[in-house]
Amino acid sequence: MLINGIQIDDTFAEAFNMRATRVIITALNLKWAYHAANAMTGFATSVIGCGVEAGIERELMADETPDGRPGIAVLLFAMGSKVLMQQLETRMGQCILTCPTAAAFAGIDSEDQINLGKHLRYFGDGYQTSKLIPNSNGKRIRYWRIPVMDGEFLVQETTGMVRAIGGGNFLILATSQQAALFAAETAVEAMKQVPNVIMPFPGGVVRSGSKVGSKYPSMFASTNDAFCPTLKGLVQTELSDDIESVMEIVIDGLNFDDIAKAMKVGMEAICALGEKSGVKRISAGNYGGKLGPHHFKLHEILK
Amino acid sequence: MSALTFTLKSKPAFKLNCSRLTLNGLTGLSIAQINKLPFASSKNSPKVADFFEVSGDDTQNIIFKNSNNQLDFIGYKMVSGHITIEGGCGDFLGANMQGGSIVCTSNAGDRVGDLMRRGLILIDDNAGDYCGSRMLAGTIGVHGKVGKYAGFGMKRGTILLTNSPILHATMQDCGTHNLPFLKLLFNAIKPLKSKISTLDSTRVQRYGGDIACNGNGEILIFKC
Repeated sequence: MLINGIQIDDTFAEAFNMRATRVIITALNLKWAYHAANAMTGFATSVIGCGVEAGIERELMADETPDGRPGIAVLLFAMGSKVLMQQLETRMGQCILTCPTAAAFAGIDSEDQINLGKHLRYFGDGYQTSKLIPNSNGKRIRYWRIPVMDGEFLVQETTGMVRAIGGGNFLILATSQQAALFAAETAVEAMKQVPNVIMPFPGGVVRSGSKVGSKYPSMFASTNDAFCPTLKGLVQTELSDDIESVMEIVIDGLNFDDIAKAMKVGMEAICALGEKSGVKRISAGNYGGKLGPHHFKLHEILK
Repeated sequence: MSALTFTLKSKPAFKLNCSRLTLNGLTGLSIAQINKLPFASSKNSPKVADFFEVSGDDTQNIIFKNSNNQLDFIGYKMVSGHITIEGGCGDFLGANMQGGSIVCTSNAGDRVGDLMRRGLILIDDNAGDYCGSRMLAGTIGVHGKVGKYAGFGMKRGTILLTNSPILHATMQDCGTHNLPFLKLLFNAIKPLKSKISTLDSTRVQRYGGDIACNGNGEILIFKC
C-alpha cells in the first residue's frame, strides 16, 4: 500500500489485554491540574519497568468536572488488577494528595471498583470525614475529606476498573532523525484528539523499541536491532539503505476500536505530510502474532 | 405513581407521633390499611384516618400537607425515599434517620436529626433547640435560625446554617474556609425544592465538635 508516496507495510501491531482506570483530577486552575496530572503520569511509560502505563487523556472544562473546577482526565493501564490498584494508590498518595488544591474523582463507571481515596483517608489521622452524596443517577457516592495544610483534600472513595488493551503501535521510518521526529509529533498531536487512548511514552513517542529477550540472561527485553539504523549490515535488518531513523508510537486504549481509530488518525496525519517529509515507510511491531490476542493490521485500518 | 400524601384535616389538640408514616412502615399497604394504622400501640390509639386524608401510592415520595408543629417524629428511622413537609413540623424530625431526604418548608421543632446516621434534612425556616443532637452522620441544612445547643453530642455529620447560632462551649471555631465538597453537595440537592438548595457558596465558618464526645461533626455557617 502506497499513500502519498509513503509505503505502508503489510503487517500488524500486536497488543495485549490490560486493566485500566480513569481518574479525573481537578484543581484551582488548569496549571495546577497539570502539575498533579504530570506527576501522576510520570515514570509510567511501560509496564516493563514502571508497573503502569499512564498518560493524560484530555483537558476538562469546569462544567465537565464534579466539583466545577478545571481538570485533567488521566488513564492508567496495567497488566493486572493487583498492580493497577497498587500503582493507583501509590500515585494518588505521592502525586495528588501532595499537589496544592488538587482533588480526584472517578472517571469511569464499572462494577469492578478499585480504591482511590479509600486507604488514603488514613492520612487524616482520625480527622478525615466522609460524605455520601448522590450523583446524577441517584447513586450514593462516598467522598473523603482529608484535612491538609492548604485546606481540605477531596477524593472519591473508589473508581471503576475496566478491561482494556495495551500495545497498539506503529513505526515511522524516515531518512533523517529530524524527519522521523517531526512526523511522530504531527501524528501524536492528531491522535490526542481521539478519546479513550493515551500514548504513554515521552511526548507520545518512543525511540527504543524493544524485542523480547537478550543475549544477557538477566534482561528480558533488549533493543530492537532489526530497526536500529546504525546496525544495518551487522544484523538482519528491516531497514533499507535510505532509512536513517525510526520512531515508534505506542497506544493504550479502553477498547480495540479506539486504538484502531487513533492509529488511523496518526498514520493519516503522517501520510498527509507526503514523501517530501522524509518519511518512507510506516510499519508496526509484533511478535509473530503468538503473544498478543489483538492484531491491528495496518492495511485494514487504513482502508 | 403519585406521591403518597397525608393531608392534615385540622390541627390536633395533642402531639402526634408520626414515626410509622415512612417508607419503612408503609410499603405494601393499601390506602385502606394506612387509614387504619394507629399512632401508638395502645388499644384506643387514634388512627391515621382520624387526622389525615390519605391519597397517592408512591411510598418513596411522601408529602405532608397542612402540616404543623403537633406532628412529631416525621421521617423516624427512614432508610430511603423523600419526604416533603408542606408547613411546619414538631420535634424529632428525621430522628434515627438511616437515609433518604426530608424537606420542610417551614419551621421544625426541637431535636431535628437526633441520632441521625445518614440522609439529608433541609428546613426552609427555623429549627428548635438541640438541632442535630447526637448525630452520627448525615447532613442537616437550616435556612432560618436554630435554637440553643445545635450539634449537642454530635459525633460526625454536617449542619449547614445561614445564621450564626449561640453555640455551647464544646463546639470549637475552626475559622473560615472554602470547602470544595460543598459544590458537590449543592449539585446533588439542587433538584430539591428548598431554600438551602439555592445556595452555591463554598465559603463557610466551620465549627468542629462536639468535642465533649470526641466528635468529628461540624457546623458550617455560610458567609454570603
